Amino acid sequence: MKKLTVYLLIAIISMQHLFAQSAIIKGNVSDTASKKIVSHAVVSLIRKADSVLISFTRTWDNGDFRLNNLKDGNYLLLITSHSFADYTDNINLKDSSTIDLGKISLTKRSELLKEVIVKQQLGAMRVKKDTIEFVADSFKLPPNATVEDLLKRFPGIQVDKNGKITAQGETVEKVLVEGEEFFGNDPTIATKNIQADAVDKVQIFDKKSDQAAFTGIDDGQKSRTINLKLKEDKKKGYFGKIDLGGGTQSSWNNSAMFNRFRSKRKISAYGIMSNTGKTGLDWNESNTFGNGNGLEYNEDFGGFFFFGNDDEFSNSNYNGEGLPKTWSAGINYSNKFNNDKQSLNGSYRYTKLNSEGAGSSLSQSILPDTVFFNKEIRNSFSSRQRHSANGSYEWLIDSFTSLKVTANGYLGKLEGFNNYLGASLNEFGDTVNKSIRNTTNDGDNSNLHSLWLLRRRFAKVGRTISLNVDQLYNGNSSNGFLFSQNYFFDKIGDLTLATTTDQKKINQTTQSSVNGKLIYTEPLSKKVFLELNYALRNSKSDAEKLSYDKDGSGKYETLNDTFSNHYKFDVLTNTVGTAIKFNGKDMTFSVGSDVGWSNFKQTDIFKDSVSKRDYTNFYPKVTFTYKFGTNTRLNINYQGNTHQPTIQQIQPIADNTNPLNITVGNPFLKQEFDHRLRFNFNTYKVFSQRGIYIYGNISKTDNAIVTSNYTDSIGRTINQYVNVNGNYNAYAGGGYNVKLKKIDLGLNVGFNFNGSKYRNFVNGVANTTDNISGGLNLGFWKEKEKKYSINYWGSFNYNTSTSSIRTDIKTNYWTQEHSFNFTIQLPWKLEVNNEINANLRQKTEVFDKNNNVVLWNAYIGRKLLKNDKAIIKISGHDMLNQNIGYNRYINSNVLREDNYQTIKRYFMISFLWNFSKNPMAPNPQ
Amino acid sequence: MKKIFFAYILTLLIFFRAGAQDAIITAGKIEFEKKVNAHKEIESDAEGDDSWLLELRKATPQYITSYFNLYFENGRTLYKPGREAVMSPKPPDWIMGPAIDNVVYHDLDKQQDITVKNVFESSFLIQDSIRKVKWQITFDKRTIAGFECRKAVAIIMDSVYVVAFYTDEIACSGGPESFSGLPGMILGVAIPRINTTWFATKLELVAVKPEDLSPPKKGKKVNNKELMAQLRAAMKDWGKFGRRNIWHVML
Repeated sequence: MKKLTVYLLIAIISMQHLFAQSAIIKGNVSDTASKKIVSHAVVSLIRKADSVLISFTRTWDNGDFRLNNLKDGNYLLLITSHSFADYTDNINLKDSSTIDLGKISLTKRSELLKEVIVKQQLGAMRVKKDTIEFVADSFKLPPNATVEDLLKRFPGIQVDKNGKITAQGETVEKVLVEGEEFFGNDPTIATKNIQADAVDKVQIFDKKSDQAAFTGIDDGQKSRTINLKLKEDKKKGYFGKIDLGGGTQSSWNNSAMFNRFRSKRKISAYGIMSNTGKTGLDWNESNTFGNGNGLEYNEDFGGFFFFGNDDEFSNSNYNGEGLPKTWSAGINYSNKFNNDKQSLNGSYRYTKLNSEGAGSSLSQSILPDTVFFNKEIRNSFSSRQRHSANGSYEWLIDSFTSLKVTANGYLGKLEGFNNYLGASLNEFGDTVNKSIRNTTNDGDNSNLHSLWLLRRRFAKVGRTISLNVDQLYNGNSSNGFLFSQNYFFDKIGDLTLATTTDQKKINQTTQSSVNGKLIYTEPLSKKVFLELNYALRNSKSDAEKLSYDKDGSGKYETLNDTFSNHYKFDVLTNTVGTAIKFNGKDMTFSVGSDVGWSNFKQTDIFKDSVSKRDYTNFYPKVTFTYKFGTNTRLNINYQGNTHQPTIQQIQPIADNTNPLNITVGNPFLKQEFDHRLRFNFNTYKVFSQRGIYIYGNISKTDNAIVTSNYTDSIGRTINQYVNVNGNYNAYAGGGYNVKLKKIDLGLNVGFNFNGSKYRNFVNGVANTTDNISGGLNLGFWKEKEKKYSINYWGSFNYNTSTSSIRTDIKTNYWTQEHSFNFTIQLPWKLEVNNEINANLRQKTEVFDKNNNVVLWNAYIGRKLLKNDKAIIKISGHDMLNQNIGYNRYINSNVLREDNYQTIKRYFMISFLWNFSKNPMAPNPQ
Repeated sequence: MKKIFFAYILTLLIFFRAGAQDAIITAGKIEFEKKVNAHKEIESDAEGDDSWLLELRKATPQYITSYFNLYFENGRTLYKPGREAVMSPKPPDWIMGPAIDNVVYHDLDKQQDITVKNVFESSFLIQDSIRKVKWQITFDKRTIAGFECRKAVAIIMDSVYVVAFYTDEIACSGGPESFSGLPGMILGVAIPRINTTWFATKLELVAVKPEDLSPPKKGKKVNNKELMAQLRAAMKDWGKFGRRNIWHVML
């Protein structure tokens, strides 16, 4: 090591000009004081025009250097060697000149005098301790000047043409905006991008290195820093949108949304009025004008969980029955404090949703010895109102501890009525009964749900403790009337029996639960973690259901014992559990189990009786994930879980809302236990743009809660909840997607499968219904930005169902769905869109009506204003006027088809305008 | 192992500064700490109203750290992944991006670059000449790992601004990743566009064994131009996220 070899490096740039006409610079470097030669000193040749390094070399052992093959021009020669001060010289090279600089002496840095800082006094400048502050407005600047232009006016500050800032002789390494790094470490990004008139004050100080700030040990490294304080009004801005539309069939769809921000405070408000199905904010609107979409990232899973804040009152598309009319308004406030360590978000929303509907249904009930067909037509009206409030607060108490509280609740009102006309037919087509049924309802509902999450990490990686409290309250009270007349006929069509039910119904139900869970994880090694948890859950339900018969005087004062009850159902569960997790590079694996003790307490207040039951359960859980390379992943997991019966299932009361179809609760119901095995496999190749996905799920339910049905000869059914074993459900699917590069077309082909075995009892006979459905799907898409986009998705499914009580009755049918969307951008900023959704269903022996729907929506729009911020549109919804609401269910031995009124053809003209004002950003678009 | 002589930077400075005034380092091993400001990366991926992406910041450490070792001897350098960094919480894979475990071999005399980059499902062996960078030399200095470094700046890939800090006390014109061509060893690189920095943490004066400087061999053979074309084709619909990925791969 002592004998160091001479090392010479010739830059490639000079080698390229080996045979060109070239200049040479040579010289010899030594120390001024000791006169000793300096070897290994770096000699760099820098082009004066742009500071670009052209060539470099090092001095030999004898202090000589030589730079060859140089082009003519003006250069700066820089000679550096540690412990010496930099030596610079201006050099002017002419074609083939050889410049011999002769002896060059370097001066030891220790001998240089310390720099003298020039002090200046100015009115626009203030000195506060170590900080120099300039008031920006004291310097007159042209409009649209940047911060860089401003800095150039300050005394003692130089800005060179590359944007490099020198303040009092030292280079400014950082430019902060409001104390935060604007973008990365490059100071020029802030100074070149922010408008000078947005700046209130400019502060210059020395900032300790991050390392020093972190370790607390001052390493003497300080970097000169500029902090820009912005004017208050420049942190302000707003954006919003207005959508106005009106059309045929007296359709209207109007909304206005506005968001005003001032640094981190956001206040937004919106209003919606629509009868075309918009009842609330869509996904994007919820992000910008509402309180977000309730997304949370999960570390273990490596993905997002979506905790929908949505309810039926906040859909961008109404999907219920009937024709909706909505009036909705909301405000939202959010802010961050204390360096973003605390954030607060609160919102309030009012919605009124009226809907009127009409529909019909047809069902087939398969019984051991016969078959009944039930036909029904109905119309309904409901008016619902809701005041909702949501809030969340997050506090990063320190770098290890965080607290998050979210709460949301509502108060609502519901008014409405339902009218039904029904008839039942036997398998020969004879009418066995006819019914008229009218119900009215007037109720209040309330809800409060809060979540508290306190988490703490420790310095030891992987050690964490968290406390999670989940509180829920639901309350419902309603007053209503039931009026029903039923007529029963014999085989020759003579009336044999007529019954009338005329009751007032007063229902009051509340449900509340608190669930607390404490989780501790401890790393056993770098890759193995132990989890311990304890949870306590207390759930209370209370249901008072009272039915009063109408007496002779026309008053509803006689309590009907059969249809009245007051019941309480309390469950207290203690759970302890443990799990071992292995967290490897490619494989993660976890296995564990919880043990839970549940105590049921059921109180029948009418009978003044209490019964108690205890259960002990194991909740095993196994998960396994394997990563094959970057984009291929296999995931398998198994979980065992219980489901407790609801109070509706357990309360010993008959529900005669439909006197022909009475449901009775069962206080002896046991809890269900579910075994569930899931897998999924995903792979995606980025370069070949191909992907494969396969997923599957199989579950088995022990003590499944099902209904035991009894239908008498005149078509009256009584359902009671019972437990059975042997219910299975399975589904699977998969697909292959590829981008066909030659024609730039995305293609997806896939399959899906669904199978279930459902056991129940029909007229005392054990029945097993097997449902199997399977299908194929196909999709393709093609897009040319700013030109057109096309996509198609279609599926074909085959469904079969058989019930063991009547294997001779088979239900087989196919369904098809096709959806096609085509958007094209035309000249003159015109945009045309067509969307066709076709639903085709095979008729069956029972469901012989044509239910095919081709729903065709289209619009033509013209974009207006700068950046296409507005659009005026003419749109047509359901242009073929075919839309119907439709559902076909297979539920054990009952098959049912529903048709209902929905929004049909209308044409609308609408205007949408996005507006914004943001002085900080040039343009958010 | 017995004969390996290594010293941390303090020892080194004492040894050389006291011993021989004009001693110069020509071989050794430098550890680089690569830091990606994940929060900024997430913000720069967000397009329009992607506030869901911002939610991810809470679950990601602000800096994603990894370590690399650069072996160098005279005109040859080999840069490869070093010790594993411990991060909590563990950031999701897709934030880490592609090409996070590059192995870069440079023969500075021949201006030859042999690099292995793992990009998604493919492993590429890129054989090309070393990127020619027009470094602009500045008069700013900064101390990194005990060495006084001079700042140089450049624009690569047409628009990506790079800041490098090099020391003339190491007589090897190498640096981390693809960076080289300054009159000394590059001990620090910052690229604001991809919110990434590489800074040397220490220099060890170890004897560099031949295997420490053997160029990588396995992978699909391409040159930079071909790789760029493949990346562009694969990520053309990825928006900002795709552009960021391309910069990460191609730097």
